[in-house]
Amino acid sequence: MQRDQNTVDRLDKPSAYYLSKNKRRSRVNSDRDDGDKVDDTVDTLKNATTLYVGNLSFYTTEEQIHELFAKCGEIKRLVMGLDRYNKTPCGFCFVEYYTHQDALDCLKYIGGTKLDERIIRTDLDPGFQEGRQYGRGKSGGQVRDEYRDEYDPGRGGYGRAIAEQRKKEEEEYGRGR
Amino acid sequence: MADYERQNQGQGHRGHTVVFLANAKFFLDDDDVDRRSQRRRYEEPLSNKLRKQLLAIAESATRKAEDHASGIAKTVTENYEDEDLRDTFLTLIIQLVTEQPFKIPFLAAVVLVINTQKPELAAEALKKAAEALQGYLNVGAWREVKLILRFLGCLQRLFEGEGIFPILDELFLRAVDLQTSSSEDSLGLELVKIILFTIPYIMTSSATENEFQASALLEKTDIIASTPHALVALVDPFVTDEGKPEFIQSVVSLLQTQLQEEASKGWELVCIPRPWKIPREDENDGADPLDSMTKHPFPEVMIPNPVKPGPKAILPEIYLSVYAGQEIETVPPPTSVTSLLLRDALIDTINILDFNRVATAKFLIDIDCYFTPDTFVKRATPFDKLREIPSDRSTWKPEDVAVDAVFSQLFQLPAPEHKLIYYHSVLTECCKVAPAAIAPSLGRAIRFLYRSVKELDLDLCHRFLDWFSHHLSNFGFTWKWTEWIEDLELPVTHPKMSFITGALDKEIRLSFAQRIKGTLPDPYQALILEGKEKDTPDFKYASDSTPYAKEGREIMQLIRKKASDEEIQPVITAIEEQARMLGDPDPIVQSTDAFVTSICYVGAKSLSHVLSCIERNKERLLSVGPFSPPARRQIITSVMEYWADQPGIAINIIDKLLNYTILTPLSVIEWALLDNLATGKILAKTHVYEMISATIGKVTNRMRQIVLARIQPGLYEPQLSVLDETLGREKGDMHTLFKLIEDSIVSVSNSGSDLLFERGNGAGNQEEDELIRHWGHRWLRVFRRKAAVEEAFIFEAMVNATPLGTVAPIVPQSAEPTNGHVDVSDDDIADIS
Repeated sequence: MQRDQNTVDRLDKPSAYYLSKNKRRSRVNSDRDDGDKVDDTVDTLKNATTLYVGNLSFYTTEEQIHELFAKCGEIKRLVMGLDRYNKTPCGFCFVEYYTHQDALDCLKYIGGTKLDERIIRTDLDPGFQEGRQYGRGKSGGQVRDEYRDEYDPGRGGYGRAIAEQRKKEEEEYGRGR
Repeated sequence: MADYERQNQGQGHRGHTVVFLANAKFFLDDDDVDRRSQRRRYEEPLSNKLRKQLLAIAESATRKAEDHASGIAKTVTENYEDEDLRDTFLTLIIQLVTEQPFKIPFLAAVVLVINTQKPELAAEALKKAAEALQGYLNVGAWREVKLILRFLGCLQRLFEGEGIFPILDELFLRAVDLQTSSSEDSLGLELVKIILFTIPYIMTSSATENEFQASALLEKTDIIASTPHALVALVDPFVTDEGKPEFIQSVVSLLQTQLQEEASKGWELVCIPRPWKIPREDENDGADPLDSMTKHPFPEVMIPNPVKPGPKAILPEIYLSVYAGQEIETVPPPTSVTSLLLRDALIDTINILDFNRVATAKFLIDIDCYFTPDTFVKRATPFDKLREIPSDRSTWKPEDVAVDAVFSQLFQLPAPEHKLIYYHSVLTECCKVAPAAIAPSLGRAIRFLYRSVKELDLDLCHRFLDWFSHHLSNFGFTWKWTEWIEDLELPVTHPKMSFITGALDKEIRLSFAQRIKGTLPDPYQALILEGKEKDTPDFKYASDSTPYAKEGREIMQLIRKKASDEEIQPVITAIEEQARMLGDPDPIVQSTDAFVTSICYVGAKSLSHVLSCIERNKERLLSVGPFSPPARRQIITSVMEYWADQPGIAINIIDKLLNYTILTPLSVIEWALLDNLATGKILAKTHVYEMISATIGKVTNRMRQIVLARIQPGLYEPQLSVLDETLGREKGDMHTLFKLIEDSIVSVSNSGSDLLFERGNGAGNQEEDELIRHWGHRWLRVFRRKAAVEEAFIFEAMVNATPLGTVAPIVPQSAEPTNGHVDVSDDDIADIS
């Protein structure tokens, strides 16, 4: 029994990130009939079988991802997110299932649980397209790893821009700073 | 836990930033400024407030549910004219009944209070309930039927005459019809179960003088409920009689016994809450307003005849507890009706709320809010502290009761309602919400299961293994491995050793060898072979002592260079010629070994590497099988040998090769159960079981899709015949597979066979022989069950199929094309023919 609204929230809806991203776009591109636009974006996800998976460690392998995500159904395709320049994993991937239901189940049962001892994030995705496997950050990785000032050993330490700055400072002032 | 919160905060923060930027862009827009100031003045509509109030009913451990209920009743009756509010109330109350079953008695209390003040509103609620009930009856949604009947049962006092009993009587008549028409009927049993689970709620409703009707009904259901069901043995979670807890009987028959016992005690039903007492302004005012309230006729509902079977197959259920036989009871024993009343409400809650595991976990942790206060001991009471509890008080731990229910679903045969991982995620979430309370309960459950691992159904053993490793992966892989050290002395074919090695392998698959090694005490270190730590296993042709080493290396180089098939062919030919000269009857086996081993080695970096190697060399691989079945099986051997230390990767590759149709399901079964049976020892290897079940799963899945395509309405000739033919062929192939499994394993499970003699070497290791025979039994049981379940699925589905030869009716206008939801030629179905 699918209802419009359940008595508790559903975990198998597109994330606020996805919706707001599209809302933003629609605001820029068109007049303010936001409601319709959001419906549209929800619509493109109606039969989505792909998930964006985020907050992976750079060291997490395809095999590990496969091992966990196959628990929600057979995996049709797995695309690792790569650093645009080094072509090394940069902490995200796309998992494509054969059915929409498997993708929804994945949101419900895997999103927010741990893989390789990190809480991972899953989001319904309209589908992988060539080029999207690369990080969109300035230095080739994901944008979030550019300015992160928290140290994250699984994702290359400090954000790259921050690390860059630190390095520069160290060079300028000498080591014992 | 901590980083989970941090994570959430992080996301919340980001979300906020986005909103802020969006607003900033339009900062000068008048509308936007307006909207902001509006927001500040905004007052929540009353219906929203009511919604929140109603949703939260009984959730608080501090606030009395009775007060909460009358508060809600007051809001709704005082604002009866507010249509929006009334609608919200009526819709939500019924929705809560079917989505949050724990709250049913409290929701009934709200309606009772309303009835004393505004009987017409109570009548509307009854009407809503009846409409919903009718809808669920029409489609055969039996769980929802049960829950609405429970709600109405709690309201028995509100009805004129016999109230809810006539509809239960009618339901019983349908059950009798079903039972008399088939001895294997399960739907009739389900109806009896619904009747039985309604009775306790009628008896605890504030209505009086129901004993006679309840006893009469119980007497009638006895004959159906107590007759052993033909299919119970099929879903029994234990293999042998030894070590099996005392009470393995179907839930219906258990419930019948419990209720009879309860009837003889005057229907105590201690655990069910009775929030009917209406708080009165003046405590001394004697008369209970419920005594003088308006009564209503029981709403009219039609039970279809015959009843609808509903979308899910129904099989008998068995009451399983992982806390059976402890020195102190931490869960109600199966002799107490409390055990099933709690279990039933828990299972429904768990299975209904699969769309929000966090909410499910919260309900499980808060279970003590929804039952009589003395049902449980205080939350998180340590097991050892239970000894100090006086003997007349309950020692039942709310955590154990909740966790037990999740395990009962995880271990439901043949399959639970949702994917197994859902139940994993509920347990994970429970541990996050209340680690100190839940972790020790899980520990005791794990110990029980580990102790029973030899008797547990093999499929369930694997579910245990899979859950255990997955669960640990969410909690830093910490487990008290020290307590199983003694078992490391057991033979490798012992179920406990098989469990330990299987669990470690799965842990490594979710993590990596070095990490897992670090979590293990010394005696376990030897189990993590050096090969598990190697990212790229050695290439056997690198050593000159391997036959065809030179050619093997050449092929590997060619594959690495992405050479064309023509360039590879001469080297393949060279191997085959040498093999032929050496008198090899099947030279292609040797060349296949070199070819596939090279693919594995070149593709060792990752799954996508090996997949693109396979993709590039697909034609050659595809041509091997039809040419030589032994060579096709050599493909499996080469993969399994290359990845011998990391079998998870091997079976993953095998799985993909099946999708490419390079391998056939039959070849996989033959490889394991004919070529490599190794006098039965292979049956103790968890990854082999995993591979065989996955392979069979592919076949049965495809089969089911074809069945669904065949029975879709609006299908006519010639498609009917085409699909029917496909179905017939696939069914034949499936039977062949099951028969092969049966035949090869029977030889192992039958004692005194030649196989055992071969292995014996005269030394006569009787213990091991016994173990192997036992593995054989357990394998047989699993695959016989799978075969029976598939058979039943096809049979039931085909009952309503359009008969062959049906042609499309002539429709004047352009008719809707049959938009097959299921299209077997769709590439969505992995082709494994």
